[in-house]
Amino acid sequence: MMPLSKDRPFLALLLALVGVALAMGLLAGTPFALSRYLANAIGQLAAFAVLALALDLIWGYLGILSLGHGLFFAVGGYVMAMYLLKHSFVVTGTVPDFLQFMGWKDFPFYWAGFEFFPYALFVAVAVTGLIAGIFGYVSFRSRVGGVYFAIITQALVYVAMLLMFRNDTGFGGNNGMTGFAVLFGWPMGTSGMITALAIASLLVLAGVLVGCRLLVGSRFGALMLATRDDETRLRTLGYETLRLKLGVWCLSALIAMCAGMLYVPQVGIINPRVLSPELSLEIAVWVAIGGRGHLAGAVIGALLVNAVKFWLSFAAPDIWPFILSGLIVLVVLVFPNGLMDLATFKLVRPMGPRRAAAALEEGR
Amino acid sequence: MKLAPFVSILVGVLAGGLLLASPAGAQPLDRAALIARMCGEAAAMGEAGTALAALAASGEEAERAWAAPLPRAAIDRTLACDEAGAVLTEGGLDALTRAPRAAQGTPRTPLLSLKNRPVYELADAAFTLRMAPSVSQRAAALKILERRPALIPAGLLEGAAQAETDAGLKAQIENLAQSAALNAADPALRRAAIARLTENPNRRTLTQLTGLKSDAAYATDAAFRQAVESGIAKVERGIALGDALATLYNGLSFASILFMAAIGLAIIFGLMGVINLAQGELIMIGAYVTWLVQQGLRSLAPGLLDWYLVLAIPFAFLVTAAIGIALEASLLRHLYKRPLMSLLATWAVSLFLMNLVRVLFGTQNLQFETPFYVTGGVPVIGDFIFTWNRMFAIAFAVVTLALTWAVVRKTPLGLNIRAVTQNRDMAACIGIPTRRVDMMAFGLGSGLAGLAGLALSPIYSVNPQMGQNFIIDAFMVVVLGGVGTIAGTVVAALGIGQINVLIEPLWGAVAAKVIVLLMIIGFLQWRPEGLFAVKGRRK
Repeated sequence: MMPLSKDRPFLALLLALVGVALAMGLLAGTPFALSRYLANAIGQLAAFAVLALALDLIWGYLGILSLGHGLFFAVGGYVMAMYLLKHSFVVTGTVPDFLQFMGWKDFPFYWAGFEFFPYALFVAVAVTGLIAGIFGYVSFRSRVGGVYFAIITQALVYVAMLLMFRNDTGFGGNNGMTGFAVLFGWPMGTSGMITALAIASLLVLAGVLVGCRLLVGSRFGALMLATRDDETRLRTLGYETLRLKLGVWCLSALIAMCAGMLYVPQVGIINPRVLSPELSLEIAVWVAIGGRGHLAGAVIGALLVNAVKFWLSFAAPDIWPFILSGLIVLVVLVFPNGLMDLATFKLVRPMGPRRAAAALEEGR
Repeated sequence: MKLAPFVSILVGVLAGGLLLASPAGAQPLDRAALIARMCGEAAAMGEAGTALAALAASGEEAERAWAAPLPRAAIDRTLACDEAGAVLTEGGLDALTRAPRAAQGTPRTPLLSLKNRPVYELADAAFTLRMAPSVSQRAAALKILERRPALIPAGLLEGAAQAETDAGLKAQIENLAQSAALNAADPALRRAAIARLTENPNRRTLTQLTGLKSDAAYATDAAFRQAVESGIAKVERGIALGDALATLYNGLSFASILFMAAIGLAIIFGLMGVINLAQGELIMIGAYVTWLVQQGLRSLAPGLLDWYLVLAIPFAFLVTAAIGIALEASLLRHLYKRPLMSLLATWAVSLFLMNLVRVLFGTQNLQFETPFYVTGGVPVIGDFIFTWNRMFAIAFAVVTLALTWAVVRKTPLGLNIRAVTQNRDMAACIGIPTRRVDMMAFGLGSGLAGLAGLALSPIYSVNPQMGQNFIIDAFMVVVLGGVGTIAGTVVAALGIGQINVLIEPLWGAVAAKVIVLLMIIGFLQWRPEGLFAVKGRRK
């Protein structure tokens, strides 16, 4: 691993993120400030980039592909939405739509205490840790990995989606939760709040980026890479990889949860669509396009793909799936390391006999 | 005078009872006496009304035609009685001979008493039900009869049902006949009706029988109570059996769909370690090809339209197999060392195919003809109907299973597939063209997905998103069944199909999916390689 001071793409990205955050903060309120739409889009992109980092940490550095990271994203999102609704209810007295829709007089009992943010945060961490911990433990203990693990995580997120689509769970059902009015006592929807959320997302992104970089650059990071490249050998040498994998898996889940908590106040709604297998697959696509196993690549991939998606969902919503599938095919065939190949001009001849792709073999 | 109403009821009931017991058609009808009674006292009029109703039930054709206008005339007061008998004033016909004549002297139009009016209305409705030319008139008459099931003379509804040409009305008449028999005055008749009901146990007969518990006879008549209770017990047994069979049957049909969706996945996964996320879309394309074949037949050979499900088999297989081979040769061939990337690549293909179909055909459900061999079903017991569309899927899956087994076990290609599945390097060393085997196997797996699409088109709705509904269940079958074994896929599909269907009525479809997933995760703790793991080195 390159020392941090020499990792120029990484430093440039970090600088750009902090720079944008600073500029947004300084320009707020002046005529040069970004439009509300643009500021909001930047904030959402940053939340997606955090999500991509979460996946890159386990897929790029541990070789475990999760096609269910939307689950942890959704846990963060739902808990944040619960906090926002309860908080808005306490401050303004507006009864959430889903309660009226179900004809319920009061919040279900498990909504108690959600008007306190620390409690909500604690619940989010606990639920995420519990799900990730139990699922990770049983999977890694029986050494389920590779494609098996990927499709079981996908089934997990799919089942969670079906569960949340039910209206009687007390989490908004298929309409989800919306109508957030107040965050930390401040009204939502003002340009100041939008800018603040975007800046917060950018700073969290920068922080997670640095944290992950320090982790993978450490001795622990070397162990992660060793687990990815040859777990059997590492086990033979006497390392217990179960705890290592479980720890990184839970950390990754918590990062995804943070992304969800940042995302929901900015988009203003949460519904079971975030649990659809497509979103979880898309996260992997961002990482693959940006460059698996490169933290900066994951961030850039998430930002780029989602920026194009934001733009095309206005300009030409019908052609977006075709572009996305074309991009994926291009990445998996021609640029096995995504945009990182493009950066170093390491083009691979796709049909050639000795493909550089072979250098990137994965353990099953 | 005060006794008169009582006497009239008594006589009416007696006469009714007599007529019920011995069909009037057996004796020659005394038309003149009937007319005389219609012109008589209230008691005699009641008697005449009951006799008319009985005539409608079991009289001969000619007698019925003669008597049909009489009740209506009595109700409308267009019957004028005089010394020579009676005249139907509407049309001016003699009531007895139907010769034209005018009423003589000062005619008297008898007034129906409150007790007699329903009897005459019933008789009129009975004649209308049997003789009116239009369905709506007969249906209206049936409505009137339904209000007084206890007064309906025996044999009327049976006769009417036999002659009825309209299927819907016929079913209604038969229904009424059953409940009329249940409410008959004669206990023996009622018990016979109960026994007849229990021959066909379903939820409707159960409500009918439980309704009898509030009947007065239930408390007083021990034989009747016993008949009702044993009837209920029998019907409940029948329903329980029917429900159990229906659950098994639905589970079996779901399992056959799952099997067909998963067998292709399992072969490909066993061979190359690649999970084809586009399998669901190949299923969808199989269904669309079936639809295209149907449309082609409709315009080219309408006579063969009914057989499109059979004729589409080669097309569905070949089209999806060709797509699979193209996919393997152009994309997956380069990704064998990178199975996780192949997941993304096949997802890209799935996205592409789904949106391509969406653009070409639109998002709406396709309309399929239902040929006679997948229409309807045979009611077996209780509410269990042995439906032919599900049977089609099951039979199709069985044939597919047999063919797949034959291909894998009995053909050179199958031998090669098994060899490469067990040890790719060794197979390559002894000269098996592993790349070619991969390609052919991928084509086989994809073609099987196309067949699955064909088999489920008569049961499920066909639209561009349909593949998504099956793909995750199919994954679970592969994970549970183990890599590349047909037996494992069959057992896992049966298990998951049955468990889904068993849990669904208890806690709902979502809970069924959750529980199945948790069971699979738990199961992998015990056997990480699936149910029927191929023995060999762990990859």
